[in-house]
Amino acid sequence: MKKIKVTLDIVSEEIRIFYDYKKWHFLTINGVALEGDRLEVQWIFSRYETMDEIVMFYAECAYKDVIPSIVDTIPSAIISQRELVDMFGVEVEGSEKGLYLDADSTQSPLSGCSI
Amino acid sequence: MKKTINIPLGSQHISLLEPVRFKFECENEKIVGVDSDVGFVHRGVEKACTTRFKYDAVGYVVARVCGLCAITHSLSYTVAIEKLLNVEVTRKAKYLRILLLELDRVHSHMLCLSHTCESAGFEAMFMRIMGDRELIMEIQELVTGNRIQFDFISVGGVNRDVNHEVAKKILNNLDALKEKVLGYMDEFTNNWSLSLKFKGVGKLTLDDAYRFNAIGPLARASGLKIDVRNEIEYLPYGEIGYKMQTHSDGDINARNIVRLQEALNSIEMCANILAGVPEGEIVVKSKGKPNGESLVRFEAPRGELMYYVKGNATAMLDRVRIKTPTFSCIPAFSHVFLGSNYADAAAILASFDPCLSCTAK
Repeated sequence: MKKIKVTLDIVSEEIRIFYDYKKWHFLTINGVALEGDRLEVQWIFSRYETMDEIVMFYAECAYKDVIPSIVDTIPSAIISQRELVDMFGVEVEGSEKGLYLDADSTQSPLSGCSI
Repeated sequence: MKKTINIPLGSQHISLLEPVRFKFECENEKIVGVDSDVGFVHRGVEKACTTRFKYDAVGYVVARVCGLCAITHSLSYTVAIEKLLNVEVTRKAKYLRILLLELDRVHSHMLCLSHTCESAGFEAMFMRIMGDRELIMEIQELVTGNRIQFDFISVGGVNRDVNHEVAKKILNNLDALKEKVLGYMDEFTNNWSLSLKFKGVGKLTLDDAYRFNAIGPLARASGLKIDVRNEIEYLPYGEIGYKMQTHSDGDINARNIVRLQEALNSIEMCANILAGVPEGEIVVKSKGKPNGESLVRFEAPRGELMYYVKGNATAMLDRVRIKTPTFSCIPAFSHVFLGSNYADAAAILASFDPCLSCTAK
């Protein structure tokens, strides 16, 4: 697996440049709680018809940061973005809460944020 | 502006096996807008895996994510852990793992096909397929001790061997089932209720399959060549006769045909496995605690299943992320509904073979 470190301000553009929809399959967006009230957000891709070729863009951020959307480039990413909002209690541009939890729920089960 | 009405399908509906709600905006019979709600059975499995259970028990927890593809869940998690522990399982264990994966695929596809028949009003065919499916359920019980949700996979290998008598019984049942599936192929190709009724209905084009990142039989029925069995070296699929099955029509009929072809290929692979299971141990011992991160993918009956696991050299894991096939396909599902007739919605949904238990995990 190839990991590419990015920052939130450039991730949408980096993925837009990288993503050829007939070459790369969008797997999902993942979140991993880090120490110190921080979060690692991962955008994961695999290459069609190629053995074990996985590319992961990742960015570290604070829970209060607004995570940019990649829906303009990958329309099907909306469901992964909404899951991230529900599970980690973060804000993702253009993605509503309420996929798994109630829209007005104050919970965020996978959040490691203590504040 | 034309007048539209909103018609819900679900969360409780006679054509649904599990709770999901689609809200269709319809112009007369035509669906012009779709909103989906998939979170009715969220159980917090990912959270439980990092707070309630030690890593060596999590493999048995994730098998409960889904009754139909339990084996793929437990295998994906287990292989992710084996990578972190640097465990290399024997070739025999790999062959037995594929055997169960493919048996699981056959019975899952048969369940989907039977429900497709039910949605066409062909109840007799539904009963016939569900009855024949028992041939596979018997084998699964014989090999693992349980019909579904079997705990066959363990870190380092598998929990049970397949002896000569069991292998003989499996081959007998597979031979009988192959004849049945060839019979279904004839019905699904030539019977008006199952072929012409579904041709051109619920169509996903190849370009849209790419754009919406469709996976599994849904994608392959549109001609998109995506199958994790073709993209991983971990399991020796190349040695046992795996062939990717695709179709170009992208409609309900194409999805049925792809599932039938895959069932036949899986039966052939199982027979090949039993003809050449390597000698060796079924399990090897592992040492240490998982440390670092690993990501694995396997082809579940509905498509690509991904597990991401992060360990910290203790018995409790930092993160277990489960990305299920139906979850990935929700945007493609919504797109297929657009432009379809509301009367076809239940049949289209059945042809997707959605698993909400997996999706909401």
